[in-house]
Amino acid sequence: MNEFVLALAALMIFPGGAFVLASGLAFEWIDRKLVARLQNRLGPRWFQPLADLVKLLAKEEIVPDGVHAGLFKGLPVVALAGALTAGLYVPIAGVAPAFSFPGDLVVTIYCLSVLTLCTGLAGTNTLDRFSFVGAIRTLTQLFSYEAPFLLALLSPAILAGSWQIAEIQEYAQQHTLLILLTLPVSFAIAIIGLMGKLELPPFDAPEAETEIVAGALTEYSGRGYALFRLGRDVELVIGLTLISAFFLGGLANPIEFLLKTLGLLVVVALLQALFARLRIDQTVGMWWRVGAALGLLQILLLVILKGLGLL
Amino acid sequence: MEPAAKSGKFSIPIGPQHPALKEPGHFEFSLEGEIVTSATARLGYVHRGIEKACENRTWIQNLYLLERICGICSHIHALAYALGVEKLAGVTAPPRAQAIRTLVAEMERIHSHLLWLGVAAHEAGFDTLFMYSWRDRETVMDLLEGLCGSRVHYSANTLGGVKCDVSPRHSEAIHRGVDFLEGRTRYYMDVVTHDETLLGRTRGVGTMSLDQAVALGAIGTTARASGLARDIRVEAPYAAYPDFPVRISLETTGDLLARFLVRLNELLETYRLIRLIVDHLPEGELQARIPRRIPEGEAISRVEAPRGELFYFLRSSGSDKPDRIKVRTPSICNWSSVLVTAIGHKLADMPMLLAGIDPCFSCSDRSVRIHKKDGEVEQWSWEILRQYGIDYYR
Repeated sequence: MNEFVLALAALMIFPGGAFVLASGLAFEWIDRKLVARLQNRLGPRWFQPLADLVKLLAKEEIVPDGVHAGLFKGLPVVALAGALTAGLYVPIAGVAPAFSFPGDLVVTIYCLSVLTLCTGLAGTNTLDRFSFVGAIRTLTQLFSYEAPFLLALLSPAILAGSWQIAEIQEYAQQHTLLILLTLPVSFAIAIIGLMGKLELPPFDAPEAETEIVAGALTEYSGRGYALFRLGRDVELVIGLTLISAFFLGGLANPIEFLLKTLGLLVVVALLQALFARLRIDQTVGMWWRVGAALGLLQILLLVILKGLGLL
Repeated sequence: MEPAAKSGKFSIPIGPQHPALKEPGHFEFSLEGEIVTSATARLGYVHRGIEKACENRTWIQNLYLLERICGICSHIHALAYALGVEKLAGVTAPPRAQAIRTLVAEMERIHSHLLWLGVAAHEAGFDTLFMYSWRDRETVMDLLEGLCGSRVHYSANTLGGVKCDVSPRHSEAIHRGVDFLEGRTRYYMDVVTHDETLLGRTRGVGTMSLDQAVALGAIGTTARASGLARDIRVEAPYAAYPDFPVRISLETTGDLLARFLVRLNELLETYRLIRLIVDHLPEGELQARIPRRIPEGEAISRVEAPRGELFYFLRSSGSDKPDRIKVRTPSICNWSSVLVTAIGHKLADMPMLLAGIDPCFSCSDRSVRIHKKDGEVEQWSWEILRQYGIDYYR
């Protein structure tokens, strides 16, 4: 019974559930505020993401004609659920993951992709032309960054000799310098890949407002839109946690968690403010020509070094 | 709602309500994948009937009405009109008034070009540049407010002269502001020519050759980016331009990057000109007397607005009201260049191409008389229009 209560608490309150949602909103605010300050704007007040969420949840959800209503309403829920599930396997707030088993890294990456997949499906589900083009771009982008992103996260796994997030983290804590020295390329690819996943500028072609309004989510309003946004916030937290656990020497305690993830968030915000939007063909070209090639080279190097017994 | 794709051809509407355009205009692009195969434009959502309204107002009242044709190049409309009326009346404004008119026109050019830079950056998804350039634009708007009392509709002109004077305090503030803006413009020049992501969106995009520019009748900065040296300030100097000659800024590549460069170079030239005018303002009167009834006759007035040549035709029957006023704004001349260069480009480039000519929609809108094939001319009377409106919304 006690175990059941603990598992339920892990799912609903900490480290999954409420805590991830709250930190997602907090991270969204920090991100928006930083980008705004970098762009010489004032930026939102601290409770703005929460206020947006409450407002959207309270609004009527309009289901447009010609869509599959079940899919239309179900996809946002699945998207958020996918992101929240991923949160159970990563060391949120510097404490050990709520659940852990060999191979959970692959499951986590898969869960993180569910949001993007749902966004794409949501776009193709409606008849709107902007949604349709946005969905095509979302899925195109998914196929371009996913492989390099996976390769980037696999390289610490290969070093650690395990596909279990908790074990990789433990290895990273013991060999911080080694990882920092050998995996800078994977680290960069992972951060940029996360930005592509979250469709942050300059990878925001799938929702480029000056071309296709709001992309795949153009027809969404109210609850569905709120859940998609929440899912994206959750993914931001989980992605940053995963990357800092793997590449920045692990997350031993909450203070390390805060320092490292927020440090990464500053980098992400800087990158958002620095560049003009990439066209979708430029994004795909960049990922496959540069990202995938570098990721593969990095893995190859690791395998050779490991084979020679140098690592 | 219609199914998105019926016949394999996919068309994307931009406007009349669309986040890329802050004014109503409708563009329809046919797509194959992301490639645009055809483009059409439909304008006319904000026709205001200003030309007709002019005929019911006196010459001096029209000054205020015409200034409101455009919210960005307001001064240049009033200037073109005032110069035309003065030509009809045989009056010349005093040299100091002409210099102040030129000064305000050049400051308006700064305001317009910086605004365009921000809009173009926004269309490219480069919001940082957008925010920065609009922040700096405040400088010149504050200067204009100090000089004329208003940030947008300066109302500096009157028939026969100007209403505001440049005091030593003004000229000092203008020098300070222009120094600041020159530094910022050089920085933006650096960003536009060196930022790889922005270059990826502008270099070689929407290229219009010199021949095309001539054939399509492009004017203003759009034409100068294609190497067509057309600038009314140089070709037919008006106001104080004969005394303060302008160096034309020209690029030859004709792509979006060239349009950025032409406008930024023009800004630098404008700063030089403003300093020159402020330092060498002629002394004297601000206004010449002008009769209330303008003598019978016709006049043409041409000026260089920030977007290109602005053309006014005025006809007087000798009364205190004009007989006919015809305005041809620069935006209308450049639309065809967008529709031609759009084909073969990607959908993602369309907002930038549209913004590339610095369009002004309300400037472009006018009523059209349709001549049908059998020679019948259809013209709607006020009664028919009114009935149409009632039926439409019933």
